[in-house]
Amino acid sequence: MYLTLLVSGLVIGSIYGLIALGYSLIYKSSGLLSFVQGDIMTLGAFLGLTFYSYLGLPFVVSLLLTVACAVALGFALEKGVIRPLLNKNVATVYIVLATIAISYIVQNGSMIAWGSITLNFPSVFGVGTVKIGKINVQPEALMCILVGFICMILLHFYMTKTKLGTSMRAASMDAMAAESCGIDVSLSTGISWGLSAGLAAIAGILIGPIYGVYTTLGAVIGRKGFSSAVIGGYGNMYGAIVGGLILGLVETFSASRVSSTYKNLIAYCLLLVFLLVKPTGIFNEKAVQD
Amino acid sequence: MKLQKNKLTALILIMIAMLLPLIFSGSSYFVLIFCFIEIYIIGVSGLDILFGYCGQVSLGHAAFYAIGAYGSVLLHKYTGMPVLVTMIIGSALGAVVGAIVAYSCSKLVFHFLSLATQAVGEIIYILVSHSPNNVTGNYVGMYTDPVNLFGFKLDSEYKFFYFALGCVVIFLLAKQFLVNSKTGRAFTAIRENVHAADGMGINVRAYKVKAFATSAFYTAFAGAMFAHLVEYVSPDSFLYKQSVMFLTMLLFGGSGSLLGPILGASAVLLVNESLRSLQDYQMLVYGIMMLIVIVVMPGGIFGLGKGVMAKIKNKKLNGGEANA
Repeated sequence: MYLTLLVSGLVIGSIYGLIALGYSLIYKSSGLLSFVQGDIMTLGAFLGLTFYSYLGLPFVVSLLLTVACAVALGFALEKGVIRPLLNKNVATVYIVLATIAISYIVQNGSMIAWGSITLNFPSVFGVGTVKIGKINVQPEALMCILVGFICMILLHFYMTKTKLGTSMRAASMDAMAAESCGIDVSLSTGISWGLSAGLAAIAGILIGPIYGVYTTLGAVIGRKGFSSAVIGGYGNMYGAIVGGLILGLVETFSASRVSSTYKNLIAYCLLLVFLLVKPTGIFNEKAVQD
Repeated sequence: MKLQKNKLTALILIMIAMLLPLIFSGSSYFVLIFCFIEIYIIGVSGLDILFGYCGQVSLGHAAFYAIGAYGSVLLHKYTGMPVLVTMIIGSALGAVVGAIVAYSCSKLVFHFLSLATQAVGEIIYILVSHSPNNVTGNYVGMYTDPVNLFGFKLDSEYKFFYFALGCVVIFLLAKQFLVNSKTGRAFTAIRENVHAADGMGINVRAYKVKAFATSAFYTAFAGAMFAHLVEYVSPDSFLYKQSVMFLTMLLFGGSGSLLGPILGASAVLLVNESLRSLQDYQMLVYGIMMLIVIVVMPGGIFGLGKGVMAKIKNKKLNGGEANA
């Protein structure tokens, strides 16, 4: 019983973590808040379903194609909407509202394209369950947890060890200084928006086989992802995943032990508690902007 | 002189508004739309006090809207108090919740404040849709009575329209009085620079609490009006997108002004109503329009008008100099 709960908590936790990673990445690189992550996740799930099930491509190929599409979309969003707004020097609230508008467009667009019924994502591995100890686990669930961890580690190395990642961090600390050192700030923020869209799409294609695919799949998870980002420390890569796992586990266990009616309440209460008591999160991440 | 002119404009606006139901007397649908516009003017004006004057963002004003609506409806149902009284108590309840939120969140800056208020909005939504013992009717919602003005039932759109118009005038006058007072100047100081305001001896936390509470009172009262106009409440009216709608209306009209919320509420509501015929495509078109407006005219209608007026004035000045 506990083991089953543990696995399902870890699965949804790593999904929250992937979404939160995207938030942290955007915040780290441009100091902005994005509300599109959740809906890009929905789009990723739909695209993955289309490539894998309707076009009959192998899973890995459809995963890569989906991620490529999402990265392109994220990059285009930054270049087409966010960058022009930043250049105009508008108040931050307009950028927040612009991302909300985009999320409406993506959500409604995918409803028009794929319909409003829940679609079934076919099994990826062909086998129903695998046995771990005493319990049966969907292999997709294990893949979900594994991929979440791999993404976190890759992203950490990307941010600290590669030239692009370093320039991204520099751009977030002081855009003008970075620019005068010869860093293309516009390119590096574009890449970070693209990457976070890619992460959201991975989350979508991973959760698809477990939860099914529907248009409001990402909206709720996207909002809860903020909670895991704040729990871990907004802007911290490890914090995002750890916060996600904590949220997933707390949610799953309290839903089964106490009551499932208020399951969705937990994420928001945790968010508020952390914001009020420890806004720097578990990993003590200092906010980029005051 | 200027004050006289403003008073005259306001008087003309009120006169035009009073004539609206007579002009559209054939169609109660339009009168209903005007009623909604009045409700939104009050709600958005509330957000304007908070965001436009005090500079504090909120992505959870649907929470206060819900508290006002449910507070009034539940009080009326379970205690039998007259509707007008419960509306005011419900709004006061909203103000109290707003004050609590502001008191605890007063240290949070923009991004985190928007996350916190969003969380408050979601929590209230979950509470009204999964209430213990089904007191709020949960997803089914519940029916309620129309406003009863000392024995005079406002059971048609026409009657409600004039009642709401009175409310709009009172609330806007109060708002204007507030923002021109010492408190209003403190709000503006906090908006412009928190540290400078703090240095000038303004108690930032206390004023943020005041701004949040007043704002919540306005929006909660709008919620109560909404509930007793349609005589029915359900959680669907208090979703996250309602909070976004308030913010959109405010920014579309132009924040930090008296006219902004009026223009924004009317324009966005009329656009939304006319998009209703698109059915499935409604949110798509709405999103695209929102995006275009944000990218093209980030000052809102009021800001755009101001910009054009400034340009004309400049041209006149330049022209005058050239002639001389």
